Amino acid sequence: MSSHPSTLERPPAFRRIGKSILLTLPILLWSLLMFSRAFFQPRLDLRLASVVVMLFMTALFFLMMRTGTTYRWRRYFFVALGLLFPVGFIADLIAVRGTMSIPIERMVSGDTPFCYMVIPMLVIPAALTRSIIFPGSILPTASNPHSIAIMIGLWLALTLVLGKAWCSYACFFGGIEEGFAAVAKKPKIRRIDPRFRLVPWAILLAIVLLSAALFEPVYCMWLCPFKAVTEYPAVRSVQTAIQMVIFVVLFIGLVIVLPLLTKKRTQCAFFCPFGAFQSLFNKINIFEIRIDREKCIDCAACRNACPTMAISKESVQAGNTLLGCMKCGACVDVCKNHAAVWHVKGTAVGPSSERSRLLFLYGAWAMATMFGGSVLANSVSHLLHFAM
Amino acid sequence: MRKSFTAVLGYFAGGLTLLVAILVPFVLMGFFSNAVARAGLHVDEGYSGGVAARTIARDGYRIVVNQPVKPHLLQRMEPFVQVAWEPASALPAQISEDVDLDGDGRPDVHLTFAVPADAKEPLQVNVASLNDNYQSFAGVENESYSRLVMRTDRGIMVRVPLSRKFSTR
Amino acid sequence: MNLPSISASVWEALALGLATGPICLASCGPVVVPWMLILPNGWRVRSHQLTVFLAARLMGYLLFACVAWWAGSAIPHAWSGRAWAFGCVQLLLAIALLTYAIGWPKTRSCAAESGRRLVQIGVAPQPGRTGAATLGFLTGINLCPPFLVAGVRASQLGSLPAALVFFVLFFAGTAVWFAPFLALGFVQRNPAIATVARIAAALLACYYGFLGASTLIARIIYV
Ligand code: SF4
Ligand code: SF4
Repeated sequence: MSSHPSTLERPPAFRRIGKSILLTLPILLWSLLMFSRAFFQPRLDLRLASVVVMLFMTALFFLMMRTGTTYRWRRYFFVALGLLFPVGFIADLIAVRGTMSIPIERMVSGDTPFCYMVIPMLVIPAALTRSIIFPGSILPTASNPHSIAIMIGLWLALTLVLGKAWCSYACFFGGIEEGFAAVAKKPKIRRIDPRFRLVPWAILLAIVLLSAALFEPVYCMWLCPFKAVTEYPAVRSVQTAIQMVIFVVLFIGLVIVLPLLTKKRTQCAFFCPFGAFQSLFNKINIFEIRIDREKCIDCAACRNACPTMAISKESVQAGNTLLGCMKCGACVDVCKNHAAVWHVKGTAVGPSSERSRLLFLYGAWAMATMFGGSVLANSVSHLLHFAM
Repeated sequence: MRKSFTAVLGYFAGGLTLLVAILVPFVLMGFFSNAVARAGLHVDEGYSGGVAARTIARDGYRIVVNQPVKPHLLQRMEPFVQVAWEPASALPAQISEDVDLDGDGRPDVHLTFAVPADAKEPLQVNVASLNDNYQSFAGVENESYSRLVMRTDRGIMVRVPLSRKFSTR
Repeated sequence: MNLPSISASVWEALALGLATGPICLASCGPVVVPWMLILPNGWRVRSHQLTVFLAARLMGYLLFACVAWWAGSAIPHAWSGRAWAFGCVQLLLAIALLTYAIGWPKTRSCAAESGRRLVQIGVAPQPGRTGAATLGFLTGINLCPPFLVAGVRASQLGSLPAALVFFVLFFAGTAVWFAPFLALGFVQRNPAIATVARIAAALLACYYGFLGASTLIARIIYV
């Protein structure tokens, strides 16, 4: 593991400024459309935040067009999303409830904001009894706008477009560890047993079986590292105290320490069951990353650069990436021989890489601007509110 | 020939994905959300408290008794019945009364709790079971999903646990 | 017992088994699914193992029927040792699952790697019956809710043979629900699936271990 996209320069394939601006125009128009409602809000902080986020997203897309690289610019957005999401979320919680912890009476009232991580655990109980084993509400209410129907609808729509690229362009948790992974210049731990890649699938299997038996969202109750920075059950018993310790230990270990040491997204690659579940949608998504065997010299740069170890020696030899590829673009950007390429299934591997990239990026960035952008704007508005 | 055909199909699907992306905020999100909302799903009764079975009219206020909630499969909560006193504005300062929970015309539990004027003051309930179908308990707020007393938007709600013979554990 | 009451009990036992089968499935699923996926390929091996599992589960049932009948209807709800028994069974289940997660199968393999594949010498050993029997027996006496209901009924019957027959029929009713597990026999076992199943078994072992330990600790503290 000798390199990482942040430290390895790919020979620049700069586009001319005029053409880059032209290619960015659709995203600028899309951003204007997405934030148009916020511009007419009475709150100045929200208006300002929307302008800032709109310019941020458009500028990043322009840089993607101008430089021909993807990973680094996407990472600015994704890390900002990961770091700022908890700010906005916690500020909202404190405004509504006065605390980050959620007591039983609020759960009973259906006030828990729905989180997509629960979705795989809902399927069997819902199929058996039509019960949703989550203490939220099906339709939005004044105290809980993040209702189950809205969040599942949003996830379904985004998943149709993104597949597993959800984990690079939509998830508001993955960016936290991506940020920590970017801090160190070189990884301290280089050798990672590839079998760790299977752990998320095992966790998925275990939580789906247990949730179906116990009719409770087992992962949320026992294993979610992000409870530490969002909301958690009020600590009122030995059990909730143990759960809290687990959340904090997992967060510190998997989201902070290990990414710092390995420069990988360790929680996403080796733990997150929702990520594993989301990988299944790569099967129906038309975009993928392939390795052009004719150009590949087996230098392992792509494997080392991949933040989730979604390329193996065997997969490179087969010209593929693994099911867990989240289309972040790190491998493509780092490959000096242009062997790692963006690809539309059914087309020839290699010659149409840039066309495939553009086709993918327009959809992915549109989704990122719509969903992540609104999350960012909310958080930035809170920060501005504090500052002003 | 075959290759170019699959390539055309591939780009067509790529274009379609882009179209889907454009439709997400305007059509698709709402479409999927409505589909989920209309799928006949409900939040598990262990959280929501189940559906109302009967309303008992009292002097100026009413008691809404829900259907008993029994755990699914190996769900770990105790079975319970949710009872709500509504509306909050009409409740007397002290409630102490027999309630018929199963609708057989005979009282099942005697409930006692104070209704503090200050909505921030903690609640405390005393449930005395009058037969062996329910458990007696004296409790403060939020003990568990099956035994709690809490304020709702409409009034005060109490969950009374059914006796152990209905329990799964 | 007269004939009508015997036939009523027969139907009651079968109906109870059939009606509560989903709970059995939920109770045994987290054990059976990873275990089946760890087993070697082949419908025959896996169905044979499942048969051993079910037979051992029946043994667990019959043993419980004897105890229930002997102790009368006091056992299932008021028996003070119930929490002890539940805690111990959960712990034993955790150990059995953990054994599967880290132990079996031990394929003898060449120390050196040839190409990319590990060279296997001879035929992969077939799984013995002990593992399946242990898991079957432990899930059999797992004191799951339908099992306790059946225990109450069996203990009210007039004779021990009647209690045993009641449990055999109850078992037959529940066993129907285990048929879907046979479908797992067709899942192609590849190293990745087996590893996933092993890790899942280890995780579930942690869960059962925690459940068992916390039940026992609560018992020690509060009694
Ligand atoms: S793997 Fe999980 S935490 Fe990571 S980006 Fe994907 S869904 Fe989010
Ligand atoms: S294989 Fe996929 S996840 Fe890994 S670096 Fe390449 S694009 Fe990113």
